[in-house]
Amino acid sequence: MTPNRSFITRISATISRVENLTALYALLVVIVAVLGLVTLPFIAYHDDQLYPKTLNPASTLDPYDRGGVPFGTTPIKAQYLENSPYAGYVTTYLTPFSQWLADTTHHMGTTIVAHPGGIIDEILYNTRGFDTVVETSILFVAFAIASYLFRRDE
Amino acid sequence: MFNLPNPQIGGPELFVLEFGDIVAYFSPYTAVLFAFALLFTVLVIVSRPERQVDIAFGGDAYYTKEVEPDLLRFQRFMAIACGLATLGAMVTGDVFNFTLFASMIGITNIGIVAAYRNRHVLNAAFQYGIVAMLATVPLFGGAAIVLSSTGTLSMWELFTAAVAVPLIAKAFLVLGVMGEGMAPFYIAKAEITRAQGAPFILMVHVSSLLLFLRVMEIVISM
Repeated sequence: MTPNRSFITRISATISRVENLTALYALLVVIVAVLGLVTLPFIAYHDDQLYPKTLNPASTLDPYDRGGVPFGTTPIKAQYLENSPYAGYVTTYLTPFSQWLADTTHHMGTTIVAHPGGIIDEILYNTRGFDTVVETSILFVAFAIASYLFRRDE
Repeated sequence: MFNLPNPQIGGPELFVLEFGDIVAYFSPYTAVLFAFALLFTVLVIVSRPERQVDIAFGGDAYYTKEVEPDLLRFQRFMAIACGLATLGAMVTGDVFNFTLFASMIGITNIGIVAAYRNRHVLNAAFQYGIVAMLATVPLFGGAAIVLSSTGTLSMWELFTAAVAVPLIAKAFLVLGVMGEGMAPFYIAKAEITRAQGAPFILMVHVSSLLLFLRVMEIVISM
């Protein structure tokens, strides 16, 4: 704790404390985020999106109506169509019960949201099924940690 | 089926594994990283935890530290999960899929270090948890900017010269991986490497190192 410590010594002493690393990382995030805000006007939105999203409030499947006929073939947009020749939008995969629910009530869209897989929006893009597998694995690992820590002291 | 548009960095394409739009690929670069992660996952599966002996100075006394079966089982599970996430992150050919695997590596790293009972280790794990959670913002933000500005997430498209990825998306990706891969700092600071159950800790280092190597390849190729 000498008063005339060098500049480098001070930096080294600061980042040698674990508690300060969080603040340092947050500072980095803020700097890059500000740079991002500055450069944001120069980034153009690409109109030809691979995974388009449209909202149709009148539909009973609202916010998740992607179009398509159940039990029929629906032409889909995909990066590599040859990898998923039989895929359609999620509406194509409604079971008869879900179809009946969607026809008679207005709650089918919310039912999808309330479904454990439904909060994972990617399930609605059937060409990106691997993402769904990884997302559920993350949830599973997080639950495993939480349950281990919770049950450790009994 | 495909050809890597930019073979200077990863080398020529060797093998492709299709999951719909997500196409995992093995080039010499990713194959080496994959083999390395696979080797360490196998080591974690077969290895036994380190049993430490503390020697009391000034006498003949020493005492051994017990590794609880519960702790061992949980840490081995987390280390294997971390290894599998690393395997996925090494070969995936999709930006969003890569960010998912990166955040899974971050969560399993938290799990490995959070299993201890030492106070200073738990403090470090808590601090790392905050950083890893904060890092998901730039990580997924980077993937979102890539998608909105180019319209695609597939690396096979993004690596071509025709598609220009904004610099800020790359910066966000690197920053996110920095946060998720920051665990070795905390490990070194809290001196967890020599704590009981030592071999599983090494998975944290391996996964962070490989994650950095992979994100560098992605960012340079884009």
